[in-house]
Amino acid sequence: MFGQLRFYFAIFFARCTALVLKLIGRKGTSMPGSWAIILCPDFLERIPKPKTILGITGTNGKTTVSNIIEDVLEDLGYSFVCNREGTNVHTGVASSLIAESRFWGKPKRDLAIFELDERSSPRILPYIKPDMLLVTNIFRDSYKRNAHTEFILDILNEYIPDTTRLILNGDDLLCSSVKPHNERVLFGIPRRDGETAERKNIVMDITACPVCGKELSWEFIRYHHIGRAYCEGCGFTSPELDYTVENIDEERKEITVKSAEKEYVYPLLNSSLINIYNSLSAITFLREFGISEDEIAEKMAALSINETRYNETEANGKKIILHLAKGQNPVACSRSFENVRNYPGKKAVILLLDDYLDAKKSVENIAWYYDTDFEFLNSPDISRIVTAGARHWDVYVRLLMAGVPEERIVHIKNENNAAKMLDIDDVESVFVLYDVYTVELADVIKDEIITRISGEKTDEN
Amino acid sequence: MRIEILFPEFCNLFGDLANMAYLKRCLPEAEFISTTLTEEPRFVSEDIDLIYMGPTTERAQERIIEKLLPHRERIQELIEKGVAFLFTGNAMEVLFEHIEDGGRRIMGLNILPYYARRDMWHRHNSNFRGEFEGEKIIGFKTQFSMSYPVGKLAETEGFAKVIKGVGMNCKSKVEGIVRNNFFGTYLVGPLLIMNPDFTKNLLQRMGLRPHVALESEVEEAYKVRLADFRAKG
Repeated sequence: MFGQLRFYFAIFFARCTALVLKLIGRKGTSMPGSWAIILCPDFLERIPKPKTILGITGTNGKTTVSNIIEDVLEDLGYSFVCNREGTNVHTGVASSLIAESRFWGKPKRDLAIFELDERSSPRILPYIKPDMLLVTNIFRDSYKRNAHTEFILDILNEYIPDTTRLILNGDDLLCSSVKPHNERVLFGIPRRDGETAERKNIVMDITACPVCGKELSWEFIRYHHIGRAYCEGCGFTSPELDYTVENIDEERKEITVKSAEKEYVYPLLNSSLINIYNSLSAITFLREFGISEDEIAEKMAALSINETRYNETEANGKKIILHLAKGQNPVACSRSFENVRNYPGKKAVILLLDDYLDAKKSVENIAWYYDTDFEFLNSPDISRIVTAGARHWDVYVRLLMAGVPEERIVHIKNENNAAKMLDIDDVESVFVLYDVYTVELADVIKDEIITRISGEKTDEN
Repeated sequence: MRIEILFPEFCNLFGDLANMAYLKRCLPEAEFISTTLTEEPRFVSEDIDLIYMGPTTERAQERIIEKLLPHRERIQELIEKGVAFLFTGNAMEVLFEHIEDGGRRIMGLNILPYYARRDMWHRHNSNFRGEFEGEKIIGFKTQFSMSYPVGKLAETEGFAKVIKGVGMNCKSKVEGIVRNNFFGTYLVGPLLIMNPDFTKNLLQRMGLRPHVALESEVEEAYKVRLADFRAKG
């Protein structure tokens, strides 16, 4: 009885908080949920839930994939509650449920779609009990929060309900090992031309057979531990896939996905491998939710990639590319660095890798630089690298350790001067790699680069 | 010069293998041997000049204890003989008396007079500034466990005296362990790149010239970082 009264008080207080926030013009905050949980610690357990709950978690790609899924379902006329405007931790989920419920908590919608922080699983999953959960991948992430992949896997295995149907990345041996007794559907991209068993990255979080401990053999390694493996000792192999990419047409930006012996062509947002995985996981998820191939393909064709994560602009024939390189996340940064290396033509790069908030009051732990493949930036067609921020000396040493010739590197403390240090005459594109906290700074630098390129062209004329 | 890296397929967290990548640049002539968990460590039957082990996951740590237990006497003998060791992160816990994990007690090799207590619900992250043989040591900590001495003499073997930050536990005045040329520390990441004076000290203890790779750059980065550590705590 006391618990239920506490719940009512918490939801009433949270609503008042939300109202005040609305009046002062603040959006997308998890504050109402935070108050609700402070006042009623079992708030998420007590609040009535929508009939169907879908979740998206994993180390990388969960925001992009959640956005694709939500956009497609919204375009198809589905009405649902989601945490897109808020945060993906327990307080964000609580805020979303409060916002889309009637006065005392009864849900207004029958469907909920939540992007879920994997580290926060213990505070969310046992209470919302997703009917279907997509795990995009499991990689090494922030040491501070996520420690290591074994820790994250233990959390997921303990807190994902036994009844939850799983959609898993079958090319990721860590991801596909989650909750082995739950019903599951696996997606993946079979070996592509040129892919070999050669290891290309510093970080590889599974190298030994999970059954017998013998060193795994690889049919191919795509990046890090993504690929297909087998054990010569006990016969263990990567799992069979239910959804596979049979063809990638980079020119037409399309993929052919095969499932149950049937092939279908879907549009791609972007043909980088990371985005193909994002699209494939969203397609698999939507198909398993019951959406038809035609509907998915039609709605995906109308989507655009979130511009805060990747943006290409052209000025006087030169490309300026903003590319998120999530700080303290060695795998996400390594993927960005490899994308830069693989981009055609001569390039210059600006690195804004510092944790902006850490840099203000503390000294950022730089250990993650050495799990990150800066070696990809040691490429003859990357003629200039400007690294700016509080830890510029440390990034400079890391680049030297990666073999980048010192004459190609400029390192400065003040990020605002980064654009000035670029030598843009002989490059066809400029990449600005930035952390999630420096989106605005990256935009300012992009504008400065455009001004410089435009100005120099005018001068030449 | 022969350097053995123990179990790099498991002991590779937090960028710590950069310590060995850097030593390779400092010692281009040296032989680096990577020993996997399925192999017998080379130090058991061969002369090795430096034995390195980095941080690992909790389950792998327990497998490593099992693996090294038969070689306890040999490890003890090598430490007493003055062979150089560098164990970073939770690697040194393998040599402790025991590790506590909730209700479980995992017996270690009992070479170093400490026990570790894991707390998987609370991750400790901090910056560390200390001093070893007159030189400032700086580094980062990210760990689930804290360590406590067994007996009164344990802390006399501390590696770095705490100036700012957390030592073996929140009350300890020392970080890590040094015994002859054995160094164990919870400081993670590129310790040798971040602390060129300590790296030179280690090389001298191995009977080598105190020369480090990328010397001027690494020293300048160290000075800037040290000033930042002082300014920001």
